Amino acid sequence: MKALTMKKKKMALAANVALIASIAFGGSPVQAQGGATQAQSSKGAVIKGKAPVNKNVLKVKLPKAKEAKLPNGLSVILLENPKVPTFTAQMVILSGGLTDKPDFRGLASFTASLIREGTTKRSSKDIAEQIDSMGATLTSGSGLSNTTSTVTASGLVENLDQTFDIMADVIRNPNFPAAEVEKFKTRALAQLQVQRSSPQFLAQEQFSRAIYGDHPGALVAPPAESIKKLTSKDLADFHSANYRPNNAILAIVGDVTLKELMPKIEKAFGDWQKADVPETTIPAAPAQAGSRILLIDRPGSVQTVLQLGTLGIERTSPDYFSLLLADKILGGGPAARLFLNLREDKGYTYGAYSNFGGTKFRGTWVSSSEVRTDVTEGAMKEFMFELKRLRDETVSAEELESAKRAIIGSFALSLEQPQSLLQNVVTQKLYDLPADYWDTYPQKVAAVTSNDIKSIAQRYIDLDHLQVVAVGDASKARDVLTKYGKVEVYDADGKPIPPGDIKNK
Amino acid sequence: MRRVSKLFAPLFIFALTILSTQAQTARKVNVDYKETTLKNGLRVITVEDHSAPVIAISVNYNVGSRDERKGRTGFAHLFEHMMFQGSENIGKSEQMVLVLNNGGTMNGTTNEDRTVYFEALPSNQLDLLLFLEADRMRSLAITKENLDNQRNAVQEERRRGLDNQPYGKSGEIQQELIYDNFAYKHSVIGSMEDLNAASVEDVAEFFKTYYAPNNAVLALVGDFDTKEALAKIAKSFESIPRQPDPPKVDMTEPDQTKERRATVDDMLARAPRVDLAYKAVAGNTPDFYALQVLSATLQGGQSSRLYQKLVKEKEVATNIGGFMDEKRGLGALYVSATLRPGATTDDVENVIYEEIERLKKEPIADWELQKAKNNTRRGIINGLQSSLSRAITLSQYAVYYNDPGLLNTRLDKVSAVTKEDVQRVANKYLRDTNRTVVITMPKAKARPTASASGQ
Repeated sequence: MKALTMKKKKMALAANVALIASIAFGGSPVQAQGGATQAQSSKGAVIKGKAPVNKNVLKVKLPKAKEAKLPNGLSVILLENPKVPTFTAQMVILSGGLTDKPDFRGLASFTASLIREGTTKRSSKDIAEQIDSMGATLTSGSGLSNTTSTVTASGLVENLDQTFDIMADVIRNPNFPAAEVEKFKTRALAQLQVQRSSPQFLAQEQFSRAIYGDHPGALVAPPAESIKKLTSKDLADFHSANYRPNNAILAIVGDVTLKELMPKIEKAFGDWQKADVPETTIPAAPAQAGSRILLIDRPGSVQTVLQLGTLGIERTSPDYFSLLLADKILGGGPAARLFLNLREDKGYTYGAYSNFGGTKFRGTWVSSSEVRTDVTEGAMKEFMFELKRLRDETVSAEELESAKRAIIGSFALSLEQPQSLLQNVVTQKLYDLPADYWDTYPQKVAAVTSNDIKSIAQRYIDLDHLQVVAVGDASKARDVLTKYGKVEVYDADGKPIPPGDIKNK
Repeated sequence: MRRVSKLFAPLFIFALTILSTQAQTARKVNVDYKETTLKNGLRVITVEDHSAPVIAISVNYNVGSRDERKGRTGFAHLFEHMMFQGSENIGKSEQMVLVLNNGGTMNGTTNEDRTVYFEALPSNQLDLLLFLEADRMRSLAITKENLDNQRNAVQEERRRGLDNQPYGKSGEIQQELIYDNFAYKHSVIGSMEDLNAASVEDVAEFFKTYYAPNNAVLALVGDFDTKEALAKIAKSFESIPRQPDPPKVDMTEPDQTKERRATVDDMLARAPRVDLAYKAVAGNTPDFYALQVLSATLQGGQSSRLYQKLVKEKEVATNIGGFMDEKRGLGALYVSATLRPGATTDDVENVIYEEIERLKKEPIADWELQKAKNNTRRGIINGLQSSLSRAITLSQYAVYYNDPGLLNTRLDKVSAVTKEDVQRVANKYLRDTNRTVVITMPKAKARPTASASGQ
């Protein structure tokens, strides 16, 4: 391996660049206020500041969703999109993996997968042929720690009626044929094995366990025991209890008006029977034990997959916008610190990122990368440097304004991504966010200060509870990680490996 | 092959799955584009569209890994990375920083047949967009330090995508086996050894030869005034000097006369996998479209013959997949199946061959033909939603086939395919002697947990 040139950073080439514009929203293109500050180079990037950047941030008006409700309680949301003659319809069932009983984790996910494997009117093969021959798609699923299950159908608007007919059939009339259930179990058990060959899967599995312990958030794949004991009756029971119109939102985006749409929805879902749905209790994320370092030995690895992180926030947390910006600055893309440092400056990796997420229980805030084995040490050093830097140093006004521009500016592009706009509306409903949540989103982004970032970093980059997961060649990575604390080593099947069994190379 | 190499892996891909069709009253696809060529040979395509305040640019260079010489595999893609390392007026990584921090999106990607750079930004950033692309076409800054840095990044890209993944090397081995002509006989990502050999002189020469305005197509789509934008494009790009045309690559591929076969021992895999390829035909030819229909019938979606047979009925595979590869030179029809525990590769191969024989002997069903055509229409419509995907497609069809209008006529070409065509191409191309088979077998772990030994 070649020696990496760790030069002192080029100093900022100052220039009056419009990377930086104060962001205000409301009104048409907003004029930048205050003097443009100096452009700033950082690790891995040299900002010459000669490119002609328009300092204004375009004001964007988001399309308004229309809403309706059927007498049986089904909520309908429509985002009209006349640009292309297509539609996407998503039935969001307000029960998911979190509804599973502790001794039957995975049942919500199995139910969602199996609804398209046969109904009282159609066989699995009929469904596949009818959907595929229209060039449509029909997908369904639920995550093991999700609050919802979703069934999504897409197609051309001229096929709306036929597609709704099949969609309603799988949502309302699945009969979980025993033969299909058995075939599903065989495939799912094989899949459990195959996914263990992915280093990213292994890292995610151990990281989630380290953060969540016995909480359902720990699960990234269903337990084999759940698959083995699964029967048609279990599926039918879960379906009957949870797939109810009063426990669902039908969200649609497409080239159709509400007036055209409602009779079709009435026809497909009007006589769907409502029923009392058992309440799901969502356990709080557990108190965090001390920092751990988990090394998964994957013989044959030529890279170490690293994940470092902590417990984050719920989706409705008041800290959301501060964390959004903190994450953007730390690792929210190729213009962020982790990428510019670990890749553009050091050449350790193809990419380094951070991300955070949270639902009705606290999510995680994770930094991750894949680095060649012999720079594992250097990568750990830079990760720790960047995590501490966000805690200890105040983010400059320029860097903060750039992050704000990145987020607010991207609203213009989102207008060409109608499905992500629809997801925004669904998010607002699921979390009971204010009706003007997305319209005022830019103002909330703009209101975050450098001090907010620092205090958020100090709170959530909690180094005493930092969980570190590494997947790679343990014989080479163990000593490196030992510098950061006691290292627990596991094999790729999740079994602990006694310390004496790993010989250093 | 299947793998393309990019500047970086996008963090989130917006789930744009606007799809589908059965087109009784289907709207005809028509993207109204304008085309002009600057004095220096730069071809310019524009589409004015005020439906969203977005502008997107795609600059597509007529160079790919097929243009690489022996000893420099992976170079076209490594070079792509260098296009983000600065030019006369743009610093290292500044292009990424400026686009992303103004709410935009960007990337670059290389395959065998072309290298494309693209950005989308809010529509008030037209000057920025043009400046960024023109500056690097005019004056790429090339330093040893930046080359070494990106060589490292690309080698990690290779490790992440191939060397550290199960089945990662199988595709590369298959590609080397399928082709005889060097142009396609190596991976886009290239070998570690060749990446190490690349020099700044190579970068400078490649830039001069292939990154000339007369070897590129620029497509601009979105919310702008065409007249004003064309004036700005001319001002930004027209003074970049034309270069002699790059050397033409010999793409002739000798006929294959017998089956080719390899077995790969894979320490990272947990289940055996079968990868088949039938060397076939270039893209945008009648036979190519017929093979696309054939592929949809054989292996497209859960209704496909192989999914129903291998996964559902006989339960010998946990997953199947494949496609007809679109290339400027000879593409191949690929078929893959991951085995279920207990099944043998012979079981799986035999079922696939039986299904291929059926395609030769019997016409496909009406609904299967409809499925393929509807899938095509769905794909095309899908690509119309965003300015960026239109820009990329228009520039790509111009570079590949000298026909940006293929965006509007492609559906007609697929619609022209008949059941007889499908049977004909099955017999013509899906011959045993035209096949390349790679079997991946999980290799027992060299280091069992009980005795970890150094080696």
